[in-house]
Amino acid sequence: MKLSKKVVLLGHFGVGKTSLFRRFIENEFSEEYKVTLGVQIKKKVIQLPDGRELSMIIWDTEGHSNSVEDTRKSYLLGSHAFIYVFDLTREDTYKNLNQDLAYLKETYNKVIIKTIGNKVDLVSEKIAVKNLKELNIPFDCLTSAKTNKNVKNFFLDLAEEITK
Amino acid sequence: MKNHQNQLQYNQNIQSITVSLDGTIIDTDTNLFSWKSGTSIYDAHPFFEILKSFIEDDDPNNAEFNLPCIHFENDGDERICDVSIQIDSKQVLITFFDYSDKYIELNGIAQQRNESILITKELELKNQYLLEKEEFKNSFIANINHEIRTPLTSILGFIEVLQKTSLSFEQEELARIIQRDSQHLHALIDDMIDISKIESGKLKIVEERFTFSDLVDGLHESYSKIAEERGIRFETYVDPNIQEYLIGDRMRVYQILNNLLNNAFKFTEEGKIGLSITKNYQRTNKLSINFKIEDTGMGILEEHLDQIFDRFTRFSKDLQISGTGLGLAIVKSLVDKLNGEIKVESEPEKGTTFNIKLPFKFEVTKPTPERKKKKYTLPETKKRFRVLLVEDEETTQYLVMKILITHGSFYVDLAINGEEAIKAIERRNYDLVLMDLRMSKVDGYQATHMIRNNYGDEVISKVPIIGFTANTNETERDKCFRAGMDDFITKPFKREELIYKITKQIAKKAAD
Repeated sequence: MKLSKKVVLLGHFGVGKTSLFRRFIENEFSEEYKVTLGVQIKKKVIQLPDGRELSMIIWDTEGHSNSVEDTRKSYLLGSHAFIYVFDLTREDTYKNLNQDLAYLKETYNKVIIKTIGNKVDLVSEKIAVKNLKELNIPFDCLTSAKTNKNVKNFFLDLAEEITK
Repeated sequence: MKNHQNQLQYNQNIQSITVSLDGTIIDTDTNLFSWKSGTSIYDAHPFFEILKSFIEDDDPNNAEFNLPCIHFENDGDERICDVSIQIDSKQVLITFFDYSDKYIELNGIAQQRNESILITKELELKNQYLLEKEEFKNSFIANINHEIRTPLTSILGFIEVLQKTSLSFEQEELARIIQRDSQHLHALIDDMIDISKIESGKLKIVEERFTFSDLVDGLHESYSKIAEERGIRFETYVDPNIQEYLIGDRMRVYQILNNLLNNAFKFTEEGKIGLSITKNYQRTNKLSINFKIEDTGMGILEEHLDQIFDRFTRFSKDLQISGTGLGLAIVKSLVDKLNGEIKVESEPEKGTTFNIKLPFKFEVTKPTPERKKKKYTLPETKKRFRVLLVEDEETTQYLVMKILITHGSFYVDLAINGEEAIKAIERRNYDLVLMDLRMSKVDGYQATHMIRNNYGDEVISKVPIIGFTANTNETERDKCFRAGMDDFITKPFKREELIYKITKQIAKKAAD
């Protein structure tokens, strides 16, 4: 039986959701910022370690300005995982992360939620980790869509987790 | 359904597809997409995978979903549609409303809005990066300053000690050259620190009352000697209408004039150098003074005059003439900081004239004479006074011990850090402590704080302490006083200054 799972990329505008999406699916990156209006959807077929094949359907949503609650609810229906992306260089993209995560956990309690600090190539990783810990910001991974740091591994780990 | 009908009336770009519950397309037109009947909707686009969960999870008799602004690729083109999905017990009706034009327009607006926010953030980030770089540079200069001043203290100090011994003519000449070049190095470090302070906006202008004639006399005295040695005439004129006591930044005014005179002497081989000081105007308690410095030196080409105040500018190819190219840049920055004006006129082979206007204040009421530097003498209660030198740097230890022991009025004990200083102070009574600031284990501030606060015995807690460091900034000076020190000496120091400050503190303590 074909496995298919829906994964939604969430977060403020300009944090690099589309860049992560393009990097993982097409292995491409552009410095040019292009706003995402609504949602774009693409599929990536992943070979799981146990031999099964997973069609990961990734929804790259329009970034919000304040809270994840501003994201259209209809985009989140039927999701198996949310990836909340924030920009390590912009504190305003993660300062309300805990409230956003609390909202998502309460409203979509069966959905796996992951958090990514993106644009790690622009900061000192050590200092970024220290800052995030000081601000009590949870994160599963620090990535760079530009340099491809941790992108593939993050999605492959997620693929395993959502198919367990 | 009503909603759909309304939309249908206004939008011609619509496509409807009927799909069976297993995902097979039963019926469709091809207005927007060329998907064919009989094929699986799940192969058409990954978006439709969502149908599986809708069909599985919801009551198939009464389910309707509206998903706006979905991007679909179609034969290389992109259509942005609102999608309506209606599910009943037998089939699924999917309707696409193509609003590509509207969304592309909205996209442009959103792009502009987000870009402007992101650019602002990017600028903030760049600004922060530059500030951090600036801070690093300043701290680098401060550290280098400290590291250079420490050995320079030894060189200048030992030269003074050496010059007081019996030397042959050749040795005297060699000592003089070492002294001259070390003083030049000292001036260079001061210039670097000044430029760094000016750049970082940390240069503070102070307003203090001072005797104007003292300032001019000091310059006249120093440069008359040089003029005599060089066979050049040096003339000074001071407008007698200028008040005796002025309020302004004496040190910075001195620095400006000293720098310009120094330059004039560097570039003039014969003829004369003049310093003329006249009053421009006076209103209430304010006055403007013009300082004119003219020489008959080599002059400056007209095309170079514009760059004369730029940093690291040197037009003279004569390598015998020393200089960093920072002097005039510092002068210009200081004049600006003091809200003054500076102008230069020059003619090659004829000479150069600098005109500087600087504002000052004065006291309208009859001025009281300024207190002269008070003379202190060591009390006669003891033949020798015991000084604890807390210093980790070997050559400075040796230099200070040499100066104090040869003076004949002091015993000197040594501690190499704050921890040892505390132990020494508990063992023996001292008349004074000379405390270096940067040391391992317990530093000078901590040690001073402990001495001032941890002991009931006033012989210990009130011992005079003089801070002793190669750092020249005001923050360090403030920190010394806040820690409880009585005074502060900057390296490199002169023998007389060291003896004067030690004598002053011991005399003051004895008077208390």
